[in-house]
Amino acid sequence: MSPGSLRSWLRSPDGRGLTLVSPPFIYAVLLLAAPLAAVAAFSFWTQNYLDLDRTFTIANYREVWTEPVYRVLMLRSLTVSALVTAVTVALAFPIAYFVSFRVEPARKPLWIFLITIPFWTSYLMRIFLWKVILGYNGVVNGSLLQLGIISEPLNFILYNVNAVVITLSHAWAPFAILPIFVALEKIDRSLLEAATDLGDGPLQRFFSITLPLAFPGIFAAALIVFIPTVGDYVTPRLVGGPSGLMISNMIELQFKKANNPPLGAALAVSAMFIVTAISLIFVRISRRYLRERA
Amino acid sequence: MNRMRISWLALYVCVYLLFLYAPVLLLPIFSFNDSSIVAFPLSGFTLNWFALLWQTETLHSAVRNSIMIAAITAIVSTMLGLCAARAASRYAFRMKRGIMGLIMVPLVLPEIVVGVSLLVVILQFGFELSLWSIVLGHVLICTPFSVVVLSTAFNNLDRSLEEAAIDLGETRWSTFRLISLPLIMPGVIASLLIAFTISLDEFIIAFFLAGTEVTLPVYIWSLLRFPARLPSVLALGTILLAASLILLVSAEFIRRRGLRRTGATDRGGLF
Amino acid sequence: MNEMMIKLTSVTKSFGTVTALDGVTADIQAGEFFSLLGPSGCGKTTLLRTIAGFEEPDSGSIFIDGQPMRGVEANRRPTNMVFQSYAIFPHMSVAQNVGFGLRRRRLRPDELQRQIDDALRMVSLEGFGERAAHTLSGGQRQRVALARALIMRPKVLLLDEPLSALDKKLREQMQLELRQLQRAVGITFILVTHDQEEALTMSDRIAIMFEGQIAQLSTPQDLYMRPKSRQVADFIGSMNFLRAEILRRQADRIEVRIEGLGKVELAGDQASHNADDQPAAGVRPELLTILFDETDRAAREVEGEITGRSYFGDMTYYEARLDGASNAVTISMRNTSGRPVLDAGARIRVGWEADSIILL
Repeated sequence: MSPGSLRSWLRSPDGRGLTLVSPPFIYAVLLLAAPLAAVAAFSFWTQNYLDLDRTFTIANYREVWTEPVYRVLMLRSLTVSALVTAVTVALAFPIAYFVSFRVEPARKPLWIFLITIPFWTSYLMRIFLWKVILGYNGVVNGSLLQLGIISEPLNFILYNVNAVVITLSHAWAPFAILPIFVALEKIDRSLLEAATDLGDGPLQRFFSITLPLAFPGIFAAALIVFIPTVGDYVTPRLVGGPSGLMISNMIELQFKKANNPPLGAALAVSAMFIVTAISLIFVRISRRYLRERA
Repeated sequence: MNRMRISWLALYVCVYLLFLYAPVLLLPIFSFNDSSIVAFPLSGFTLNWFALLWQTETLHSAVRNSIMIAAITAIVSTMLGLCAARAASRYAFRMKRGIMGLIMVPLVLPEIVVGVSLLVVILQFGFELSLWSIVLGHVLICTPFSVVVLSTAFNNLDRSLEEAAIDLGETRWSTFRLISLPLIMPGVIASLLIAFTISLDEFIIAFFLAGTEVTLPVYIWSLLRFPARLPSVLALGTILLAASLILLVSAEFIRRRGLRRTGATDRGGLF
Repeated sequence: MNEMMIKLTSVTKSFGTVTALDGVTADIQAGEFFSLLGPSGCGKTTLLRTIAGFEEPDSGSIFIDGQPMRGVEANRRPTNMVFQSYAIFPHMSVAQNVGFGLRRRRLRPDELQRQIDDALRMVSLEGFGERAAHTLSGGQRQRVALARALIMRPKVLLLDEPLSALDKKLREQMQLELRQLQRAVGITFILVTHDQEEALTMSDRIAIMFEGQIAQLSTPQDLYMRPKSRQVADFIGSMNFLRAEILRRQADRIEVRIEGLGKVELAGDQASHNADDQPAAGVRPELLTILFDETDRAAREVEGEITGRSYFGDMTYYEARLDGASNAVTISMRNTSGRPVLDAGARIRVGWEADSIILL
């Protein structure tokens, strides 16, 4: 390239755009793409105590996909995550609906603020406080005992999958409420009046207008909750007990205590692959649904 | 009939808000509770845990580390976000989707994967783990948020304002400094705050990449297992919550007073 | 006086697969009020932005005041622009906006203030200097945008649909003011507009653009009376088209038979070069006259029937079918006292003149 044409390229939209985007892009290549490639490479190697055997092998993947312990953890992660997604979105919808349809417009920002206040404190502390709430001497058991509803503390609410689901549903609540709220806000209120005008009752109107038009928000909320919860590490560690551990805990174990990074890498790659696949299928299904409706 | 329906919904909203607020309500309760075991029943009022905050040197250094990491992260990721958001909102360039996609990937990547992959690379190249390795990871996960916030700011900026400045003789850089930057300043501040908050609260990456010095969440994590000093952490949580609430409310108050002075109409805001 | 200010030669520009400018060639004189007129998407704004330096043409050349502009960025060109949105910097005062371009000239503060005051006076905004920009009305913003551009004393002022955001009354007032301002400062103005009335009232010359090309470049009168194509005729004002047949073509006389009007001899300049084997005769609605009184007489008369009308207060537009014609025509009549309004079905006599016909 001659100096003149380089100069004119640098002034073209292509040149300007690429120049401008290069710092964040190079950062992402060096600190994201390259490390991810390294993890992918690791997953095909073998750890022999302190040495790393760099001959290509798929033994790690064979282990990850056949050993029951990994399959159980993977399936549990997915189930917990799916459950959390369903619970969070279902619990969030009425709140989003309430703020969007029942609260007067001037007060809406205040309500949104009110909903986010509990999340202005450390994630770890919030999770830990759920342990206090659900524990053997916790708030729930204490209150129920005092009210005479139960005679001895419940123990099925801590150190198992239930606790993980409850805690994660709490942690991700605002991330589900906000997208649904935004979708509901976009609904043209005259559509509802038109439906009433055409003879729909409140319930019919809800199912024929409000709910379908809120679907984009519901889909978005589901993805926003599902993707990160699969890889959550803290919650299963703190409230899950042995029966509530998930895939991230195993990945951490392999990289740290078990000193088997290749196996951990294979687990991480497999988990990313599964989550990506599920998300893509979900996106495709929801797109098709939204297109068919349009 | 209609009244009944509304009241059922209202009842649900109350119960749900209780669910949302349950942990935060416990935070002050246990930070004033005179027992090192964080559990019911309560055993009396004390300010000891707040006093203990002043004496715990490891806590102080963890807070200092966290604030330093969060501040650096906020500045760097906002600068990277400015580049990416401006390129994306102003120019059509080759492989735009792919390039922007890679920059945004950390949004959908489990943090443990980011942590693990950086750990592998840093150790393989024989670098020491330090607070700086945490900054590297935090910038990576905060940049996409900055890009989102700043893209909105750039897209709301009338392009002809920049063209007008260039038309009047300014260079691209001076135009950015005199016109674009002042007008997207709310977005820049939002980006700084979001990145700061995310970094301050981030645990997993810090957990993987911390060397001998730790951040506040990593320190809290260690206390969760050896809980003798835990209530003082809860006291810290109470202070942080109160501080952020006071900050938000006063920011909103100032914003409203500013609006009244210029006579502009209120769009958005908190109350 | 007729010094050339801008010379455009085969300027071509595409965005991806869309060709925005397709070989535009034009000369614009110094001190001229020149308009680029066309429907949206015709390339007129792209042409303006290419002159300003915001777009670089793929090929072709632009000369401003004899200087080649290739590779010269917008901030180094002797042009200034009034943007469609006015692009008033919202975080600055009116004076800061107007004086923005003078920053680089490093003037003494009192000299700077004097120039700003002069510019504000020129657009009748004396005393507005300290106002915050975001408190201005639409018309005021437009004036600030003008002052901000004119204070630079550009060789060419570019105006991108500057009046489109104003309401009708204000727009008409600003048309007059802009024209007067242009005469007073003597700077070349290039105006982009889709409003043909605006172009006709303000311009010395107009270039009509369709699909990235200049379809016709001429004075307003010439464009209106002698459009070179049906597209141009239709875009500027409205035009009735009647089928025509060329009977005989001589050096400067053409004999044609026009459906509904009959046989007529036209002067050579009444026929466009584009008139092909199946030409159409065009006649403006106001050049057909309904002869209301039996005593009214015209040079040429034909008969027809009213098929509909629209009443506009000062004018009435009649739809009519001339006997023997396959197309309907529109006839506009000024409403005067005592003149009846005709209903559909009424028989009419229509007067016309041979020199109001053009052959396309």
